[in-house]
Amino acid sequence: MRTLPRAATGTASATIALIGNPNTGKTTLFNRLTGFNQRVGNYPGVTVERTTGKLKCSPSDRPITIIDLPGTYSLSAGSADEAVVLDALSGRIRNTPTPDAICCVVDAKNLRRNLFLVTQLIELGLPVIVALNMTDLAQAAGIEIDENELAKALGVPVVPVVATRAIGVEELCKALTESTEGDTPPAPVVFPEEVNVHIDRLVTRITRSSDERSIAPPPRAIIAQALLTPGGFHEHRLLLEYGDELAVSLATSRHQLSKIGFRVAEIEADARYAWIGGALARCQTSSKLRDISLTEKADRVLTHPVSGLVILILIMGAVFQSVYAWTAPLIDIIDAAFGELGVYAAGLLPAGALQSLITDGVISGVGAVLVFLPQILVLFLFIAILEDCGYMARAAFLLDRFMRFLGLNGKSFIPLLSSFACAIPGIMAARTIENTRDRLLTVVIAPLMSCSARLPVYMLLIAIFVPNTQLLWGITNTQTIMLLCMYFVGIFTALAVAFVLKRTLLKGESQPFLMEMPTYKWPSPKTVFHRVADRGKQFCIQAGTIIFAMTIVIWALGYYPRPASIAASYEQQRTTLEAEISEGFASLAAAASSDLGILEDSLATDIETLSARFAEFNQQFTDTIEGEGFEEGSEAYVAAVSAYQQRVDELTGSSPLGEYALAHYHLSTSTSAKLNEVDRREAGDYLRQSFLGRIGHFIEPAVSPLGWDWRIGTAAIASFPAREVVIGALGTIFNLGGEQDEGSSTLRSTIVRAETPDGEPLFNLAVALSIMVFFALCCQCGATLATIKRETNTWRWPVFAFVYMTGLAYVMALVTYQVAIRVI
Amino acid sequence: MQLTQLTHGQQGVVESITSSESSAKRLADIGFVRGARLQMVRPGDPCIVRIDETCVGLGFGHQKHIYVGGS
Repeated sequence: MRTLPRAATGTASATIALIGNPNTGKTTLFNRLTGFNQRVGNYPGVTVERTTGKLKCSPSDRPITIIDLPGTYSLSAGSADEAVVLDALSGRIRNTPTPDAICCVVDAKNLRRNLFLVTQLIELGLPVIVALNMTDLAQAAGIEIDENELAKALGVPVVPVVATRAIGVEELCKALTESTEGDTPPAPVVFPEEVNVHIDRLVTRITRSSDERSIAPPPRAIIAQALLTPGGFHEHRLLLEYGDELAVSLATSRHQLSKIGFRVAEIEADARYAWIGGALARCQTSSKLRDISLTEKADRVLTHPVSGLVILILIMGAVFQSVYAWTAPLIDIIDAAFGELGVYAAGLLPAGALQSLITDGVISGVGAVLVFLPQILVLFLFIAILEDCGYMARAAFLLDRFMRFLGLNGKSFIPLLSSFACAIPGIMAARTIENTRDRLLTVVIAPLMSCSARLPVYMLLIAIFVPNTQLLWGITNTQTIMLLCMYFVGIFTALAVAFVLKRTLLKGESQPFLMEMPTYKWPSPKTVFHRVADRGKQFCIQAGTIIFAMTIVIWALGYYPRPASIAASYEQQRTTLEAEISEGFASLAAAASSDLGILEDSLATDIETLSARFAEFNQQFTDTIEGEGFEEGSEAYVAAVSAYQQRVDELTGSSPLGEYALAHYHLSTSTSAKLNEVDRREAGDYLRQSFLGRIGHFIEPAVSPLGWDWRIGTAAIASFPAREVVIGALGTIFNLGGEQDEGSSTLRSTIVRAETPDGEPLFNLAVALSIMVFFALCCQCGATLATIKRETNTWRWPVFAFVYMTGLAYVMALVTYQVAIRVI
Repeated sequence: MQLTQLTHGQQGVVESITSSESSAKRLADIGFVRGARLQMVRPGDPCIVRIDETCVGLGFGHQKHIYVGGS
């Protein structure tokens, strides 16, 4: 047998691959072996997660790295995850060294099935160590395993461990360290002689052909997989590499095997299970008496068609309730922190392009995104807990029939659920769906789930336009119901799209449901923590890179060009106004002087000082009103107004200059308002003729049937890279400097005040509904599209998702608006 | 008889699997092979079947291709 090229023993470092069936406690064991010393990344080219860590007890002169591979039942490669496993094991992944040894985690309760993978691994020609996990649970189930006999049968070391209680971890560490220096034992012969003859023949042929082209031949195990899995992944890939000649050899071998009575697809399973049966007879005894496990008792309720569904709905309700209820204070803190940061940065930088870029662009843009971090973390916390304790498989089981009716699969449930936090992890979670069509379907409808980035849009518009009326004796209110409706708009559309696509573009038989129902266990805090922290990190990196960059682009489009003509015209208006003011002040002083007969010099300053006191009174008055939250017209408000009026009157009467000072004060407030107005108009003019503004006017005819004007249309376009940008974009566009978030009263009041050219209010409930429906259905998320591209490996599907979602969003928003203006 | 005919708690031994090659491979990976002993835990579509100590959820599309005999 050919062995794989390996790093020579005695080199400075070594790598061990950790592999095993799903639900064997592989991740827990990985955490035990490495502590917190781990790194999470992706395999180059594919987005299969790669976690690596340093073995705790490895000798200091020879550090050993452990790679945690995705859980897999076999090396036959049915899904993307499984293909990566074999590639990693055979050193066919760039920047990933061929492992020096393999540690296979085995569930002692399910030896028969687990040994299937072990026998495949031993054939790879690398040292293998079997970590016999969950020996405690096996004993409880009445299964006794003689590990020495098992080791003898397999020809590799077997170390019993209980990963959850850290039993046997040191022994395993020792065995792993030794394994990287030891020799590779011969693999047990599991295939019948007739089959081996054919595999050897193919190996010779492929090796010869590889030598001719001086490339490394694939390991024998892969060639065996290619022969014994017709139409499988390995056959497909070898054919791409070795061409028609190999196809002929494969067909000949298969034909000859079937002539002597073999069914090719069954050879491997039959041979391996027969061999395993023989080995188990020698090393495993199980008592006939079997206690009913806690998992089985729990499943009587949790997988029951009625009680199971009720519990599932309750769990989902609780999850969403906590995502929104628990995170509000955190969101406020982050929001406030970014507000402060913006003000601080504005103070540090001189006014101009740089200040605008940093405060309006970077800080408000990145802040607008990071605000969602708490919700994403909390949602992921729940998903990680539900997954780690084993419940997700039950949820998929319960919903399989319903999902199948829509053309989906029970397994689609988990990706779709994750998509409520963010479509990106949702799309990535769809990898576990083996059937390509089912997976594609899940991927293209996942972005329709209302992710957390849509929330600020809903929140802003609902708070303004939907009256807050208590319903059902205060349990809920109209605003909450409206929010829920927006979620259902996304869900129902997704279901309808799935229903249609499954019967048109993605027609074909769905893969029947097949999923292991793992034993329930307490979620491991470490695993859950790692998942959540990981997700949080990726989200922050995203906010720091893509959204950061896009924000700068939008800011630049909205800021440039800045023609000097605008600056000049407004500069002139300002000069005129300022001249008017000083003239006004001078004439006031002159009037006072002639009326009262006092010298002018000190008089002007005295008037100014008094006027400043009036400004002070007014400031105190507004502080009281805002600080106490007095509502206009309320008793306290009226009292505050009259108190303020009284102080003003007293001050006016206190000095002969009082009248003049009051006039001075009114003049200065009205002129500073005028100056502000000039600034705002200037900003508006700049924006209108900026690149963004020109685009906006160009698209206005397209968005006016939705009830939008060019400014809303521009904000919608600006938020193409990330829909949450729309809030900042609306702020910028309404001449407010882009610092408005959903809690800001100024953006709210601007929206209420915004007018069409005819003087009608721009926003009303119909417009708000149309915007919300558009954002519920559109695909305004560059990162989602990039993820779809990566996951499907073609631009076809991201383009499809973008086109159909944008089209749907437009049509539905149009219908919503046109119906709403007729009904409301 | 087909796996679909097993009632709650009934046990059986797999006699043959008539699925397509890729499905058969997938079933074999998870433990459904000729000679495997199994028990119906929750009949239905999908059903839950126990093999050794593993419970597996199985859709009707797989169930109808698995033939079992009495234990």
